[in-house]
Amino acid sequence: MSKQEQLQQILNELKAALPELKEIIVASPDGLPVAQLGESEIATRLAAMAATAQGLGKRIATTTHLGNLVEIVIRGDQAYFIAYAIGDKGILGLTTPAGSNLGLVRLEAQEYARRLAEVL
Amino acid sequence: MEPLKVIITGPVGAGKSTLIRTLSETEVVDTDAIATEAIGKATTTVALDHGTLRLDGHLLHLFGTPGQDRFDFMWEILSQGALGILLMVRADRPDTLPAARNILDFVVSRTPVPHVVGVTHLDRPRVWQPEEIALFLGTPLERVLGFDPRKPEEAARPLARLLELIGTQ
Repeated sequence: MSKQEQLQQILNELKAALPELKEIIVASPDGLPVAQLGESEIATRLAAMAATAQGLGKRIATTTHLGNLVEIVIRGDQAYFIAYAIGDKGILGLTTPAGSNLGLVRLEAQEYARRLAEVL
Repeated sequence: MEPLKVIITGPVGAGKSTLIRTLSETEVVDTDAIATEAIGKATTTVALDHGTLRLDGHLLHLFGTPGQDRFDFMWEILSQGALGILLMVRADRPDTLPAARNILDFVVSRTPVPHVVGVTHLDRPRVWQPEEIALFLGTPLERVLGFDPRKPEEAARPLARLLELIGTQ
């Protein structure tokens, strides 16, 4: 299986584990789309924005002495955007509706970010 | 002192982050990430750079943007409320001039304030002179300055020129 197919396979499994997820993207640290599941039109922009959020989040974490950045959460009144670093190889970003079980989403997303790190 | 917001923008690799690191009198906020494209350097700005500088009786807040098109939402966010724009371009990379003009149009159409063009990398072989770059961008030559953003004695020059333009508005 090619690297791309492996990444896609992992995203498919994440979607199967958490069917309520809408957008799932993997971005490079500098904001290029690497893999995606969901609406393709917004995936490219979301990849760049995920890198921006991650970059800014890291700086806020160091400036305010939070330690290492663990996750980015953007909460709208209808859904969440959540992002995790994939080691130093990239970013996993996803959106999930407001009523989601956030604890489960966090647990699964971090596990899948670890799996993605092994492939990237 | 009324703080004055200035946007430092331009294509990737022009020296925007370098300029802010050279000039800032306060700790610089930078957001470098590992570059996965061949852009001639290891890291690239993904959100913003921020620094401050006192110049000619003004307190300047310098906001540097990312250079790549995919971060155009940051150009828009950072240009809000700016009173001047410093567009930085590389003299040795005329192929990036269309991108520079695109960024300038993008920012000026949303934030119609004075701009100065800073031309960097003039010490490289085979460069475009500031006169040629002024012609390409349609910017009056007196607003196009060659300078080295690594040198503290030169780095403030385009900003001093920008302050003159803001002051005469």
